[in-house]
Order: sequence, then C-alpha cells, then structure tokens
Amino acid sequence: MTTTTVTNILLVGVGGQGTLLAAEVMSEALMAAGYDVKKSEIHGMSQRGGSVVSHVRFGQVVHSPIICEGDADIIFGFELLEAYRCLSFLKPNGTVIANDLRIPPPSVLLGKEPYPGGLAERIKASGAELILVDGLKLATEAGNPKAANTVLLGALSQRLDIDERYWQAALEKMVPAKALAVNQKAFQFGRAI
Amino acid sequence: MSERMLLLGNDAMAHGLVENGCSVVASYPGTPASEILSGVAQWQARYQLPMHVEWAVNEKVALEIAYAASQAGLRAATAMKQVGLNVASDPLMSAAYLGVKGGFLVISADDPGPHSSQTEQDSRLTAMAAKVPVLDPDSPEHARRLTGLGLELSEAFEVPVMLRPTTRVCHANQDILPGAVHPAVRRADFVKDPQRWAATPVHRYRLHLALEEKLRKIAAWEPTAPQLLNPGSGGRRAVIAAGVAAAHAREIMQDLGLWEVLPLWQVVQPYPLHTAFIEQVLAAYDELLVLEETVGVIEMQLADRGRVRGKRSGFVPEVGELLPETVARLIADFAAVPGELSVTAPAGGGRRPTLCPGCPHRASFYAIKRAAPRGIYPSDIGCYTLGLNLGGVDTVLCMGAAVSQAAGFYHAYRLSGELPDIVATVGDSTFFHAGIPPLIDAVVQDARFVLVILDNSTTAMTGNQPTPASGCGAGGVPTAAVDMEALVAACGVKFCRVGQPGDLPAFIALMKEAVAFARTDGVAVVIARQPCVVDRSYRGARPTPRAVTVSDACNGCRYCIEQFECPALVYDEQRQRVVIDTLTCSDCGVCTAVCPRLAIEEIP
Repeated sequence: MTTTTVTNILLVGVGGQGTLLAAEVMSEALMAAGYDVKKSEIHGMSQRGGSVVSHVRFGQVVHSPIICEGDADIIFGFELLEAYRCLSFLKPNGTVIANDLRIPPPSVLLGKEPYPGGLAERIKASGAELILVDGLKLATEAGNPKAANTVLLGALSQRLDIDERYWQAALEKMVPAKALAVNQKAFQFGRAI
Repeated sequence: MSERMLLLGNDAMAHGLVENGCSVVASYPGTPASEILSGVAQWQARYQLPMHVEWAVNEKVALEIAYAASQAGLRAATAMKQVGLNVASDPLMSAAYLGVKGGFLVISADDPGPHSSQTEQDSRLTAMAAKVPVLDPDSPEHARRLTGLGLELSEAFEVPVMLRPTTRVCHANQDILPGAVHPAVRRADFVKDPQRWAATPVHRYRLHLALEEKLRKIAAWEPTAPQLLNPGSGGRRAVIAAGVAAAHAREIMQDLGLWEVLPLWQVVQPYPLHTAFIEQVLAAYDELLVLEETVGVIEMQLADRGRVRGKRSGFVPEVGELLPETVARLIADFAAVPGELSVTAPAGGGRRPTLCPGCPHRASFYAIKRAAPRGIYPSDIGCYTLGLNLGGVDTVLCMGAAVSQAAGFYHAYRLSGELPDIVATVGDSTFFHAGIPPLIDAVVQDARFVLVILDNSTTAMTGNQPTPASGCGAGGVPTAAVDMEALVAACGVKFCRVGQPGDLPAFIALMKEAVAFARTDGVAVVIARQPCVVDRSYRGARPTPRAVTVSDACNGCRYCIEQFECPALVYDEQRQRVVIDTLTCSDCGVCTAVCPRLAIEEIP
C-alpha cells in the first residue's frame, strides 16, 4: 500500500543501543512541529539484546500505529545487520540511514557462521539510497561514544522537513542535563553529513 | 491539563482512570499491561489525588481489592495481562453475577503475536465466558476515552466491564490532549445485602437471570454501538473490524480506493454484540469480512455464518497478529481488487534476547549446572526464562509452576525408583505471586528438589516494579516488607540458605550442598540474592565493581561464550581469542571464575 499523507520511519537496532529513546526524541520533535504522531514498539524480551524495532508514523492524520511492509520512507538503523534485516519494510527507492556498526549475533560469537558480508552493497543493490554514518567515531569526537544515536538523529534531521529548533527542544527535554552539551555537539556532527 | 502530550497507550488509560474518578486501582505487572498502574501512580502524585494505588501480590488479589472498593460504592479498576486474567478469573466469574456498585473496570491486555506472552489467548473470550461486556480500543486515545465509557457502562448496569487493549494499543504512543482531572468526591459506603454479596446457590440462580437481562439491555446500549466509519459508502459487502485492525483497515481502504464503495463498521463492544447491529448487517449485506484479534468473538455472534468471511471460514488467520500487510491482502481479496504483494523478508543471522551483562541470574544458572550437571531444570516466568540460553531452563509453563513441576517430576520418577537431581528456578516476585502454595504442597508430600529463588529485589522483566519484600509500593511509597527466609521456613522447609551468586565459587559450593540435602532430606531452598543490574530504584549496597581483561592465556576455546553467554564476551576473529567489550561490560568480574585457563583476570 502507499500512504501519501503519512511519512513512515522504521527504527531498528539491538537491545541496549537506545533505539527506543531515539524514537521518543524523534516523536517529540514531530509532535512539537504540529504533526499527528503514532509510535509503536515491543517492550519486554526484546530489550535484552534481541532485535528492537520502533515504528514512527506522522502526518496530518494517522490511524494505524504500525508500518506496512514495503511502506517505510526511511529505515533508520543503529546496526547494519538489523537495518538489512528490515529491508522488506522499505518503499521502492526509499532511504536507509544506517550506523556503520556491526554487532555480532550469538551465532557469529559462537563461531557457527560469519557476520554476513557486503551488507552495504546488498542494501544499495535493492535500489535503496544508503547513507552510512560512522556514529561511533563522530560521537567519540563529540565527547562520548554513547552519543552515536544522536549523531544519527542529526543525519536524519537533514532529511525531514521540520525546523531544527523542534529537534533542539526535544533533545533538551529528553537528554539528561549533564549529557546535553555532548549530545548537541553530536547532533550537529550528524547534520553535517 | 490542556497541553498535548505524547502518551504511551498505558499512560493514556491511566489518565483516563484518574480523569474518571477511580479511587482504587490495583495491578500485578505483566507485559504489555505493566505501565498502566505505574502511570496511575504517576498521575496520582502529579494531581495529588486521594487514591489507593497498589502493586498487588498477584492478579487475583488485585481484582478482589478493586472489586471490594466498587462494592463500597467507589469507582475502581484493576489491570493485568491476559494470562494474569486467568489467575483472576475465579473472582471475575463470580463478580459478574453479584454485580457492582461503583464503576468497576477490568483492564486485560492481550498480546497477539505473541510478543511477550505464553499464549495469544483472547480476553474477550474470557469476558464472554464470565458474561461481562468488553470494549476493544483501536488506539491510545480511544483506550483513554473507553475507560470513561466503560466506567459509565459499569455503573449504568451494575456490572463489571472489561477493557481489552492489545500490545499495539498499550505500547503505541500518540499525541493526546488529556481531559481535566477532578478529585473523586465519593466516600466508601458499603450497604450490607448478604443475599447479593454472599449469595448462596439459590440466589445465584436469580442473579444469573438478572445478569442475562442486563446483557440484553447492554446489547442495545447506544453509546457503545458499532459505528459506520464511512457513511455514504454502499454495496452488498461490508467490513466489520475491531481494535487495532480497525485502525489498519481505515488507512488501507483509503489507499486501495475502497473508502467510497465498501462500508467499514467499527465494533467497539465485541461482547455482547449489539442485537440491532446483527440484524441490520445481515439484512443489508450479502457478504461480511470480520477483522478482529485473536479469536472470532464478533464472528461467532453473527447468526448467519455462511455469509461471514472470517476465522471460521479460514479466510482470516486464527494465529498471530493481524499486521497491516495481512489486513491489506484480506481486504483486497474480499473486495476483489488487486493488492500489492508483500516483499519476502531477507535472511540474516538471528538475534535472541539474553540476560544483561552483570545479571546475577547468569551466575546462578552457571552454578546450578555445575552443581547438578544432569539435572532437570523447571523454571518460571521472568527474565530468568532466558536461562534457556545457558541450558539452565528445561520447562516454562506459567507463574509458579516451576515449584509444582519440580515436585511433579520427583513423584513421577520416584515411581520407578529413580532420583534425578531436580533444580527449579523462580523469581522473587513470581515466588510471592504463585510459588508459596506449591512449596507447602512439596513439603507436605515430601518431594525432593532444590528450589532456587532468584531474588534480585525487583520484578525485573516488566520494568522493575517492587515486590512484597521491597518495602515500597507503587510510586515509591514506603510499605511493610515480607521476610522471605521466614516465609520459606514457615512453609516447613528445613534447608533455607541465602547466597550471593556473584561470588561464584562460594555459590557453587552452596548449590552443591543444597543438591546433596535434597537427595536425602526433602526440599532445599537457596535464595540467590543480588540486586538487578538495571534497577535504578535499588538503594541498597551493590557488589564492588571488578573490571576484567583477557590475558594471553586465552586459547580461543570459546568456553566462556558458550557456557556463560555474557554479551560483553566477544570473539575477536583477527586475534582468534576472546576480548572484553568494555562498552557493554558491567564490571561484575564473575567471568574470572568461569575461564578454565584462568585467562580472564581482574584489572588490579
């Protein structure tokens, strides 16, 4: 299906990476910008090292809380394999913004199979536009490797039509005061990509 | 409150409860319902409302506490997950007959998928069995509004009302403008009426007749009647949808260009289905597509099923979640228009959830396997189900079953003169919830097994709610605390010892002692006590951090990764050995006692 009035962003990552917090910051910014927002995710088991997926949908009116397969405008991945795994959700010629990070799943750690190679090439071959971000490196430069998500949010913010001040306000609301300066810097590094 | 807020469905329902003057709310945590009660506690504190808000020891107790408040004339609610409703079904069935005074809402959250549950059972079917009306919200905002409507319905007919959200309502967020909050003004006023409140079977018969009469009227109650979402649409076919499936259908029918030509009815009250609606749709349409999760509750109330395409006819899947891509395909097929085929998901190395780095349960399971390597390991509901990854969990049935199953395995093997080591694991909250009666039973029947109570001082899986031993309640208010050791001793257990799993060598020794005791002397209980690593509310002492590194003695055998399965232990392909992921490592230092070559060393 193709919903013209609603924009769909699928956030994916590994439990513990802060995927859900990023989805919250994004939704706050979108709500402040005046959109109807729905966000949906699975809590519980998936928080502990499993795959984490959050659906964010916004537009004038949004009814369903989840994105249909083949209907995401953007896949926003905090880990490369997770981004690749969700490719079936992407619209034809959609955009993948992915952290250039590989977290080996258990089968790889146990030596049963290698971490899949050529993921970036496979994503591009599907017709998607791929924006690969070295979140860890830029976050470390900003002052804290744990701010990688904020770097990615910065990169995403350049591709959504909402004013930067809504993003700033959302960061101020959601990020603890002592970590705010580093995250603001990380956000700007992301915007520069 | 006049500001739009991004609210979780559970928080929205919580706000609905305080908006509508609920005075007593009790719950037991369970995904996806857990945040309802913590939300109520949060709103109560923000608006400074005189309320009783509690985490009860289990769902049955929660329902009974809230129900008594309703009998005393106050508005009250209880919240739980669908399998929690099984635990609370005994009082629910009876309360349906006796009825209520103050509005009484039973929120039971279902989990089609299932994402975090043992079953995909449909609470609406339990509502039907109990003969109470049930409301089926499609979104967080709808769920908030239905709390008010449900309480109104409950008071209008003096009947308990169920509100049945699903995971996609509970754990969806939506921008919401919540309603105004006024403190409840009612005072408790229990009017004695033993023929009703303590009815004997002969009176129960009359109450049952009265309940049926109430249901007939509720099936004609206008405020919960099904709604045609696209008036003006015509034709001899229609779609009937409820819950989140209605939200999906709304968008999908517009995308497929069917909005003007295919009537879409939303059912808000799946049981009892409105009588006039049944007559109307059967008269107006030749064919009906029914979309609901997870059982065909609406479908089975439509008299002429020959005209219904749904779960009974095999048209709509009976198992799993009705995802938008599925709804799109079903509607396209039904309307005989082309729908897009969904893309096949690509393969890739799968991920599974795992215990957190530094989780004390990991050490406990490692010790259990060392103490009883060929044992049978019954386990229970909680984070520690993930002991599966360590080979320390053989069975998971339902809350508290680890204890009864351990006894059952013992009695079964005893018949053939065998005595395998049996080591059961249960969490502290789960032990209080449903583990005490089976422990008493095991002592009385002279069963032989070790019960390890994994006491991390919290209900961790569902987001760190307090336990009866925590000494604090919902919203952090101080409460009395139960002494777990005294409780175990009072059940008649002769071996009850406390150990700290993080001190792995000593804990393995304790486990071996317990296993030896159980072989000859009866039930042994080991309380594995160490705080949850992610519990931010924990105020007690924590083990001293012990940062570790891997020395050149590592030969890359991966024993630690296979047997201890900590996410911070990473195999470095280039160096052909294990390294510590310092971003993930919690500095618990337990793995120093795991490596057979002693290659994992504490950094001095």
